[in-house]
Amino acid sequence: MIDMSVDIGGLKLKNPVLVSSGTFGFGREYSDFYDLNLLGGIAVKGITMKPRKGNKPPRIAETAAGILNSVGLENPGINNFIEQELPFFKNYDVPVIANISGNTIEEYSIMAKELGNSVDAIELNVSCPNVKEGGIAFGTKSELVYKVTKAVKKCCKTPLIVKLSPNVTDITEMALAAEKAGADCISLINTIVGMKIDIENKRPYFDNIVAGLSGPAVMPIALRMVWQTAQKVKIPIIGMGGISTWRDAIEFIMAGADAISIGTANFYNPYAPIDVLRGIESYMREKGINKIEKIKINKGAKNYE
Amino acid sequence: MRCEICTIVDNYRVATDTYKMVIESKSIVFEASAGQFVHIRVGGEYDPLLRRPISICEFDKEKGYLTLLYRVCGKGTKLFVNTRPGDSLDIMGPLGKGFPVFNTELTRPKSSMDSANTQRGLNLPLSEVSFNDKKVAVIGGGIGIAPLLELCKNLNKPDIYLGFRDETYMVDEFSEHAGTFYLYTEDGKEGCKGYPIEALAKNINNYEVVYACGPKIMLSKTKNLCEANSVECYLSMEEKMGCGIGACLVCACKSAQDDLYKKVCVDGPVFNSKEVKFND
Repeated sequence: MIDMSVDIGGLKLKNPVLVSSGTFGFGREYSDFYDLNLLGGIAVKGITMKPRKGNKPPRIAETAAGILNSVGLENPGINNFIEQELPFFKNYDVPVIANISGNTIEEYSIMAKELGNSVDAIELNVSCPNVKEGGIAFGTKSELVYKVTKAVKKCCKTPLIVKLSPNVTDITEMALAAEKAGADCISLINTIVGMKIDIENKRPYFDNIVAGLSGPAVMPIALRMVWQTAQKVKIPIIGMGGISTWRDAIEFIMAGADAISIGTANFYNPYAPIDVLRGIESYMREKGINKIEKIKINKGAKNYE
Repeated sequence: MRCEICTIVDNYRVATDTYKMVIESKSIVFEASAGQFVHIRVGGEYDPLLRRPISICEFDKEKGYLTLLYRVCGKGTKLFVNTRPGDSLDIMGPLGKGFPVFNTELTRPKSSMDSANTQRGLNLPLSEVSFNDKKVAVIGGGIGIAPLLELCKNLNKPDIYLGFRDETYMVDEFSEHAGTFYLYTEDGKEGCKGYPIEALAKNINNYEVVYACGPKIMLSKTKNLCEANSVECYLSMEEKMGCGIGACLVCACKSAQDDLYKKVCVDGPVFNSKEVKFND
């Protein structure tokens, strides 16, 4: 009997396949394609205290095996999210993870407190590269990761996930800071800061100049960061970054992820999470593995340092 | 289920870099309405990565055929050209909101009260808006004519204004459905020299509804012209797109009612001109 369930820092999932914030709307967009209850969990579009209109178009550019996005956290704000979007999930039995971004530590805390009763976990976004204030500003200095995590943990009733930015010299420092501050789980990676030039008009393509790179192109970087982080922290890891197939997902789990999340692949293959889930299941059946954690590479068996 | 593996029936050149593709579909075609689009995956696993949104040009529900008209402009459409009859394509759709279509044969006012302005309020879904006994014009520019053909087939002999840079295409298909047909090219090689908006501007007072699709400058001029003359106007908009279903928020266009953005993929691609604005 194969047991697909995982426990990521107190958040119990029926399987390890999540969908990433910003790539799955507020869930309903994908409900026409398959039963959302099949998913391990849903990280909904990042929200802020006040509604945000988002960045000026263009907001997307395709790159080699990837995309650059500059959405800029467009969202209806926490109140509209609670009133208009959350009730949709009442019809489902799937964990909902609210991804929150604040301008200040207080904002993060207020949002976590308000959402505590209505979602299954909070994901702290300290890594959005597309907004000027907040977001990534908190995620690139370990003292700030520590401070914001500590403050939110105090008033957060649900498991707390900290989503890390890859745009740092050493991601393990940020991971350790989050762990020390009481994070229940960490997720990585958010998008990698990139850029595109409009050569016809001789100027940066995006109004915000830089944009976030995601998709299969970033997977080796994400995988490396998950591996490095898994060597250092004891709390569970949600691995993400360019996962498109079950093979990619297995790589992440082997590297040390306890759960994995599908992001950009949702845009071109809406069934990607289900394909990945079925692939992991048949891989386990074929290999005679009955628990997700047994997929992981046993790092004690060989010195990988 | 909104993804379907469809078979290509035909794929041929109609003008320089412009092709017509006929696709056999078992489900998408039966849900399609004029002005909607399909989102097509083409090529290898990751290159190009994203689907390509293409307007539905025509459909034949009896045969189960969808016709697409596309211009080759990048990696994805270059790959479309190389597909052959018998090949299959991964198609998602039909997506988006299409044109509110009025058909005098099918739609009659229930009572004179029904034609009250409230019926055409912006709050109504476009599909519920009906235009009874209205005089209609359709204006299209370049590859933007694509979604207008199925629309014209469903209207009662609208006046049709088409514009092209130099080479024209699909002219017979359109003129067949036209009351009066106006053809413009930038260099005057075919039809009149100039832009179709010039003729529409002269005749604008003849119309109650105008439908438009084409370059942004044409849409913007059509919007201004119609609004200045109190003519109802529907625009089919285009923006770089990601998921096509409202999840990724990249295909943003400015809302005219507030300072926010609308999603071209699900709020449009067809908008009442009063819903959107062009200048930032």
